[in-house]
Amino acid sequence: MGTNEKIVTIDALDIGYKTGRSEKVILSGLAATALKSELIAVIGRNGAGKSTLLRTILGIQPSLGGKIMYEGRDISDYSRIELARKAGYISTEHVRAANMSVYDLVALGRFPYTSWTGRIDRDNHLKIVESIKDAGMESMSSRYVGELSDGERQRAMIARLLSQDTGLMIMDEPTAFLDIGSKFEILHLLNNLAKTGGKTIIFSTHDLQMAIGQADKIWLLTDKKLIEGAPEDLMIQGEFEHIFDSSTVKYNSDHGTFSFRSDEKGGIFIEGEGILRHWTEKAIDRIGYTVSKDKTDPYIIVPSGNRKNWCLVKNKMTMEFSSIFDLISRINNR
Amino acid sequence: MTIETSMLSLRKVYFIYSLLITSLFLLFILDLFLGSVSLNAADVWKALFSGADGHLETIIFKFRLPKAITALVVGIGLSLSGLQMQTVFRNPMAGPDVMGITSGASLGVAFVILGFSSDLSPDVLKGFGNWILVAASWAGAGAIMAVILFISARIKDIMTILILGIMLSSGISALVIIMQYFSSESLLKAYVIWTMGSLGNLTSDQLIVLVISVAAGIILSFASSKMLNALLLGENYAGSIGLNVKFARIVIFSCTSILAGSVTAFCGPVGFIGIAVPHIARIIFRSSDHKILIPATVFLGGSVMLISDIISQLPGSGKVLPLNAVTSLIGIPVVVLVILRNRKYSGIY
Repeated sequence: MGTNEKIVTIDALDIGYKTGRSEKVILSGLAATALKSELIAVIGRNGAGKSTLLRTILGIQPSLGGKIMYEGRDISDYSRIELARKAGYISTEHVRAANMSVYDLVALGRFPYTSWTGRIDRDNHLKIVESIKDAGMESMSSRYVGELSDGERQRAMIARLLSQDTGLMIMDEPTAFLDIGSKFEILHLLNNLAKTGGKTIIFSTHDLQMAIGQADKIWLLTDKKLIEGAPEDLMIQGEFEHIFDSSTVKYNSDHGTFSFRSDEKGGIFIEGEGILRHWTEKAIDRIGYTVSKDKTDPYIIVPSGNRKNWCLVKNKMTMEFSSIFDLISRINNR
Repeated sequence: MTIETSMLSLRKVYFIYSLLITSLFLLFILDLFLGSVSLNAADVWKALFSGADGHLETIIFKFRLPKAITALVVGIGLSLSGLQMQTVFRNPMAGPDVMGITSGASLGVAFVILGFSSDLSPDVLKGFGNWILVAASWAGAGAIMAVILFISARIKDIMTILILGIMLSSGISALVIIMQYFSSESLLKAYVIWTMGSLGNLTSDQLIVLVISVAAGIILSFASSKMLNALLLGENYAGSIGLNVKFARIVIFSCTSILAGSVTAFCGPVGFIGIAVPHIARIIFRSSDHKILIPATVFLGGSVMLISDIISQLPGSGKVLPLNAVTSLIGIPVVVLVILRNRKYSGIY
């Protein structure tokens, strides 16, 4: 990141809903900053106010107090069209128009730039084509949005955002409902857009591991406040455990993984090294045992050298297994 | 450039437009020929250009030509209002008759025909009377639009809104029935005939009012095509790309009220054209772009209504079918087709 240009600053921001004369404040006194080229993940429980925060920053939902600044200017000083040239949005809502081609969808991103007739001239057309290409959709520009897979549709939506040509992209759970491959492709695309395209991307997600691995910064929404920081800093400060720890789920800050508390069955010592040890540990962890540092009664010897089998030593007896599957089945059956 | 674009396919769009315009023109001519009295080409030609003043000329100028123009205008008006409603409500089943807009217009008309004065029955309506009738119809349609707008701002679920629209139109029908109960026999007859839908009962003054209103609606529709395209994404997205959603709704709803209201005022509640024609346009062009769909809907709406009129005349038989029966029989298969296709895709509007 070459510059420290502030794209969005929020200060003492109150978010929530206005119905008639009554206000329902979800979160108040929020403060955070988004710099140019930053990929920011917004994390929080369901109902923590992630979507509300994103819509409020975008200006399509009124704030209940405080300040939102775009590039140093208050959001209320911008006209609707100016705002649409600064920030674009992908929500969790699906576009349902089945007769809409990818090209037509992406063309809608030019809305803030075309005249009242909406005519797509050559310049607009070139921008649309470039956006489709940048999102990796060039082979699908004449396909219909309703016929795309979830991952392709998300790419098409990102292409629309690119043609809107905004420095700030706000996305509400862009990787929800995607299979693991598409998830990483989309995230890779977002990372590229931030790092080489100079876009600032604020996205909400439930996938903590992904956020920790990819985001430059995390906005963590707890019951009362917004905690801002690099994922690693929040990890060290134990902030994640703070909101995710509950009676049934335990968050493991060493690995960034979750486990179920009720499944903790005891410790098993593992003897051995390398990749086989790594995956044996994983397997043990999966069935609810922890890896013990002391030699416990049942312990496992990982294959090494000439030995091709796993050994389970229990009550001074040694059993051999040719696969982790067999080993695990045995441990589970006691 | 390797990417296929909508710019390239524009040539195809213009080609289909030219076919549609040709068939619209042919249907218009055909509508002049066919009726309870069969005319041949030479007769029509003579009547149109000879300037004589005989039996033939009376049929053409007093009956057939106004009726054909009415059919054209009614088809365009209803179809455009259907297209707009389907986009704004993001619902393939939306249309002026389904959402209660036509009922609202009926209520306005009922107030004028049944309520106020015996001088204002459709046969006697002259001059400003026509504008009163049409304004009452707009007001009725607009009032229902406002109610639905109010509801849809609070309830996002489109099925709920549809059901409320149906409830609303049933409620209005009940009001109209009560008004009928208390009105005189001759007024009642005028109103009942009006509800059957007809293209042939317009005076030349009424036709002028109708043409002006629908022309205004068409211009407003073309002007709002960019807004309609944005609304395809839903209101949140439309707002995020810079659309003033409130303003867009007011413009489009006024346009819909003018179109559906004017048509309903003079021709009665004509069913199913408003829902069906936009879908025919979508099926032909496979597009969601209103810059393409609006002209297509104009051409197709006119054509379908002319076909309906020709069929309802039962050419050569001397009998006339109620218009509403014909439009229903044409429109319903299209609507059924759309419902069936809708199961396959997530939405078809």
